[in-house]
Amino acid sequence: MRDQYQVQLAGLGDALADMCLEVATAVERATRALLEADLQLAEQVITGDLRIDDLRRDAEARAFGLLALQSPVATDLRVVIAAIHSAGDIERMGDLALHVARAARRRHPHPVLPDEVRGYFAEMGTIAAALARKAATVLRTRDVDAAASLEADDDAMDDLHRHIFSVLMAPGWSHGVGPAVDITLLGRFYERYADHAVTVARRVVYVVTGRMPGPLAV
Amino acid sequence: MAPPALPQLLDQLSDLLARMCTEAATSLRGATTGLLEGRLRLAEKVAGDDGMMRSLRGDVERVATDALLFHAPVAGDLRRVLAAVRSSDDLERMGVLARHIAETAVRRDGVGAVPEPVRPAFAEMGRVGAALAHKAAEVVRTRNVLLAIELDRDDDAMDVLHQRMYEVLMDPSWPHGVAVAVDVALLSRYYERFADHAVLIAEETVAEVTGQHSHDLADLMGVDLTALLDGADPA
Repeated sequence: MRDQYQVQLAGLGDALADMCLEVATAVERATRALLEADLQLAEQVITGDLRIDDLRRDAEARAFGLLALQSPVATDLRVVIAAIHSAGDIERMGDLALHVARAARRRHPHPVLPDEVRGYFAEMGTIAAALARKAATVLRTRDVDAAASLEADDDAMDDLHRHIFSVLMAPGWSHGVGPAVDITLLGRFYERYADHAVTVARRVVYVVTGRMPGPLAV
Repeated sequence: MAPPALPQLLDQLSDLLARMCTEAATSLRGATTGLLEGRLRLAEKVAGDDGMMRSLRGDVERVATDALLFHAPVAGDLRRVLAAVRSSDDLERMGVLARHIAETAVRRDGVGAVPEPVRPAFAEMGRVGAALAHKAAEVVRTRNVLLAIELDRDDDAMDVLHQRMYEVLMDPSWPHGVAVAVDVALLSRYYERFADHAVLIAEETVAEVTGQHSHDLADLMGVDLTALLDGADPA
């Protein structure tokens, strides 16, 4: 019975980790769709989001089953409650990737991004996907040191986000208000995506150590 | 000391969530007034004060943990505990979004963040957002499914306001420059997200009461709600 229980608990962590890998792919594809005005790729992300929602439902069903049938206590109970919070965060990461894909689709066949910010978004996409993959590893291994490494990536994301703002506000900005608004919102989507990944990792640290390494809602 | 009985803990959870809703509504109203009327001190107060929200959220987590630990609830009761856990995430986020609005007011020194032509729209967003949060309080307190569905419909007004704001910004004749447009775009987004979270709370409540999950509460209008509710676990 207990063995079965440990298997179920590990299965819950794996389900969340799989969700993370799924949203990592989603943000990668959405970024490529954005940079290359690739409509097909954007559509893939948009339809793929339904699968991410299903995965959340599945993770929640696992958590529900564990609580109903096994009545975990102490750390295990913290793990399950954390999993319920984190499933929400990861689903939201998928939604944010979806927003990026929709922006790419809305402007198709025109590129959304002027040349001077393309590089920033390419990098934000790379960091976002890396954060989601690291969060997956942290969920599987409960490695507190690995969790700390997400913070540095998140700082890099914040720096990029700030740089983009300074480009938009510079007197030399020649693309007008419309693209600036799109870019502002897109930048925000990436920043929020990263925040959610960091929150997921922080929650694992909390479960393992009993202490939260920073504010939960960044 | 013996832990409280499960029904008591469940009531506490509803009460805590309702208080978080009211807190979110108050923050949003303060932030909006700070933003539109240049009330800098009010904006600073909203921007700097998340103590109540954090403490209520901590209470939800503790009461939910107690309920799970001491009573090992199943079925409808378990759903109710988990819905509270999830909704407290949404509510905390609503508080953060209200603070972002207040921070913008502070950063812009209380004036100039919002140019004249779009001020009425923001006033309306503030009203709609606060009303949604108050209705969410009512929904979590009464667990009234019909009220939850009504809340979902009320949110359409926010979506329309947000969409119009975007169109105004995309109009090539926008005369207020990029910096103001960027602020307006983000502000509008904060209000829209605030409302989205209120809708998510309503959805959580419907899912918890009926055992049916629907990402679009309007879907539920097509089904026989009475049958659905009869089939739900006795609360």
